[in-house]
Amino acid sequence: MVDNGKELSYRLVPSTCVYCGTGCGVLLEVMDGRVTGTLPQKDHPVSWGALCVKGWAVHEFVHSERRLTAPLVRSGGELKETDWDTALAAVAEGLSRVAKEHGPDAVGFFASARCTNEENYLLQKLARAVVGTNNVDHCARL
Amino acid sequence: MSDLKDLVREKLKDGVDAFLCLKDEEGTLLPALITDADSPELELVEAGGARYPMGKILIDLLREYPGKRFAVLVRGCDERALVELSKLEQVDLDRLVMVGLACTAEEARACGCTRPYPSEIALGEKAEAAPGRETIEEVEALSEAERLRWWKEQFSRCIKCYGCRNVCPMCFCKDCALENPHLVEPGVIPPEFPSFHVIRALDMTGRCVDCGLCEEACPADIPLRSLYRKMQEIMEEKLGYRAGESPDEKSPLSFLGSEQDIEKLEREQ
Amino acid sequence: MTNSIGELEDAEVILVVGSNTTEQHPIIGERILAAVRKGAKLIVIDPRTIHLSSFAEVFLRPRPGSEVAYLNGLANVIISEGLEDRDFIASRTEGFEELKKAVAEYTPAKVEEISGIPAQDLVAAARLYAGADRASIVYCMGITQHTTGTDNVLALANLAMLTGNVGRPGTGVNPLRGQNNVQGACDMGGLPNVFTGYQRVDSEEAAAKFEAAWGVEGLSRKVGLTITEMTEKAAEGELRALFIMGENPMVSDPDINHVRQALEKLDFLAVADIMDNETLRYAHVALPAASFAEKDGTITNTERRVQRVRKAIEPVGEAKPDWEIVCAVARKMGASGFNFLSPEEVFEEIRKVTPSYAGITYARLGTRGLQWPCPAEDHPGTPILHAESFPIGKGRFTPCEFREPAELPDEEYPLTLTTGRLLFHYHTGTMTRRSPSLVREIDRAFVEVNPADAAELGIRDGDRVKVSSRRGVVEVDAKVTDKVGKGVIFMPFHFAEAAANLLTNSAFDPVSKIPELKVCAARIEK
Ligand code: SF4
Ligand code: SF4
Ligand code: SF4
Ligand code: SF4
Repeated sequence: MVDNGKELSYRLVPSTCVYCGTGCGVLLEVMDGRVTGTLPQKDHPVSWGALCVKGWAVHEFVHSERRLTAPLVRSGGELKETDWDTALAAVAEGLSRVAKEHGPDAVGFFASARCTNEENYLLQKLARAVVGTNNVDHCARL
Repeated sequence: MSDLKDLVREKLKDGVDAFLCLKDEEGTLLPALITDADSPELELVEAGGARYPMGKILIDLLREYPGKRFAVLVRGCDERALVELSKLEQVDLDRLVMVGLACTAEEARACGCTRPYPSEIALGEKAEAAPGRETIEEVEALSEAERLRWWKEQFSRCIKCYGCRNVCPMCFCKDCALENPHLVEPGVIPPEFPSFHVIRALDMTGRCVDCGLCEEACPADIPLRSLYRKMQEIMEEKLGYRAGESPDEKSPLSFLGSEQDIEKLEREQ
Repeated sequence: MTNSIGELEDAEVILVVGSNTTEQHPIIGERILAAVRKGAKLIVIDPRTIHLSSFAEVFLRPRPGSEVAYLNGLANVIISEGLEDRDFIASRTEGFEELKKAVAEYTPAKVEEISGIPAQDLVAAARLYAGADRASIVYCMGITQHTTGTDNVLALANLAMLTGNVGRPGTGVNPLRGQNNVQGACDMGGLPNVFTGYQRVDSEEAAAKFEAAWGVEGLSRKVGLTITEMTEKAAEGELRALFIMGENPMVSDPDINHVRQALEKLDFLAVADIMDNETLRYAHVALPAASFAEKDGTITNTERRVQRVRKAIEPVGEAKPDWEIVCAVARKMGASGFNFLSPEEVFEEIRKVTPSYAGITYARLGTRGLQWPCPAEDHPGTPILHAESFPIGKGRFTPCEFREPAELPDEEYPLTLTTGRLLFHYHTGTMTRRSPSLVREIDRAFVEVNPADAAELGIRDGDRVKVSSRRGVVEVDAKVTDKVGKGVIFMPFHFAEAAANLLTNSAFDPVSKIPELKVCAARIEK
């Protein structure tokens, strides 16, 4: 068999299942820079080497066709691809304008039960310390 | 007794491209692929501790990197799996160097293992077999009607995680019968009894190498290993075949034709 | 959870109420079954027959919305039969007499009338629960997603205190969090009334502390709006800009038609998400976010265990992790205090301002995590809350009165619709419906109908039916099954093309602001 010249790389990265709140321990299999599979973490204090069907499949959506891969800005009624700097400036401008014209409480933030602690912390900090509103919530209730 | 670190270095120097073994990452043992004899990762390699489906990982590696040669640290069951997988044309033993690790007596007992060592031992001391047949004996003591009820009760806890299949080194079919909607109704838990479990048990006949990884991965603690082991015992008794033992002897089930042909036939149906 | 998942196996009795644990928290469901194999007795209370009910010693199937009535009924039986834990009540609680008075009228006979639970079954459940030395309560959205959700939770707490099932292994009142990081999002102040660690925004002391920590002045002391209220205000034109990070309200929220009107009305909507989703259609800017496999960070599970996710690969395409996105937006708005180089740096700031996280570091988390409260670096974390005392001193019994749900079946909409999740999918399906192994199992919405109702309506299993409520109509396949009782229908809410939440009622609990997703009036036609 011929060598296909690919650089040999295989790693297992310990992580946590991102579906339900049980928080089972998963190991992501990484080959050639792609997540190719999931194995259970044997010594995890909650899941002890077992997973449910969602945990075993937790890598499957990572390389989905439906992933958003570029920033989009609406122009002429349609979302069009743009660069990060333009998109971020549009967000900052949109939030600042409304806060300035209608007051900070005219702006709201949806944090997320599917993002990390660090990201939720930063989002509420942005809402409270930068925009000046406590209108921040996530779908814990849903 | 030699040291795993030295063995990894030696094999890498001898021309294998990578060594698959376990390493300690923040206190958790994980499979790791070492490609460089000077890698700092070498300080973290461990012989033993946890068990992972090395055969399964190797099928992927050998396929993804067709020109490469691998060394792998194998326990008795890993070796059996690789030998059987080579007979089923899933791994190419010419591209594999197996470095044998004998399991400890404690591990053998925990697994209820009939052969807790590979054919050549490079690391560890050979421990006695500890065939744990308690569950099999418990079931054998029941009447046939009670047996069915007993298994039905066990399988009523099944949540169709597919963990038993996903972790099994001997499960590699592209089109898995468990996912065939004509055989097992999709989306239902517990999956239909007995179809889901009987399909898997039959598929494992003559193939299962008694590693017990399926049972370890089962969130419902269903005694899967005992089920599959009983099937192997019958196979051995009736046909004199044990999966994974001798590299040259083909499974008697191969008289049906090659595995690929059978799969093709199944697909066409 | 007040206690830990592993401890469920130490319980003598487990009361599972409003949680289809096998489908929503499968690995916890299996721990419950492991406890049963070790001899624990299981009580299941659910409007649907669920996987766990076949393993239960007592299974009660009440009408959705009657929770306070039957929970008070359990307390009634415990007190009238003298099964309460008097020592615990005397030393650790107050308000027992008021509770006793309040539950006196909820006799098993009256509860049967309200909930449909046969009186003798209620008595059996009460005896079983109160008779155990270690009894654990496990609950989920079936308790909280009601206009009486807060009362439902308080009524459960009453039961645990009444029987002294608090603060010891195998006891407690244990909510199972629906999504992977609901616990963490709450801990981090992703709520309108609190900063991190539940420090109140309307407390002068807390607000001043955060002003100092963040180097800002004039933080708002006014409690903000919840999601349901923000939607309301957006529809009224008062809320004009929205930044949505990783949520899909166009599938998850009640009364979707109303949500759409609200989103359409916004002057500005920015959405950051990993996937193309239904909410993007209304966005002015959409930002591609990195998935959990493409970033570092922590999430906190239902037993308060803070755990790592680790970057395994580079973000796909041009995606960026949300932490970078939020920081970049803040910097573009001219803010300082957002110059973090890694999530670990963010975490270091979090633990400075959050006493319950103060002792946690990435290094300590390793591959097994730590359970908060963890106030110092030499603190081992806390598997069981309230071991010695309650945070407010004595535990207070809170009497609750039964109230009917906001919308009851009537002539026009004669059935009660309840909603939930399936094992094979998750929330709005943005991730699971892009996952081939899960889609293979099930990828179509359905409605479960009791055979008696089906016969009356001339509906057969597999028929295409229209389900409607005052808010909308969807078309789905009928599943005729006695999993649901007569008069009750069930729909999973994962499927955008036939979204159960087009039908649900956005009326919410006055305290928790949780919408009543578990009960509304509906009708089925062929
Ligand atoms: S593996 Fe299953 S039970 Fe575990 S966290 Fe993921 S979804 Fe929940
Ligand atoms: S099954 Fe046998 S060879 Fe395999 S790990 Fe267990 S004891 Fe070792
Ligand atoms: S014991 Fe289980 S995992 Fe191992 S080969 Fe047999 S069936 Fe597969
Ligand atoms: S591992 Fe256990 S629960 Fe999972 S599918 Fe197999 S038998 Fe069922």
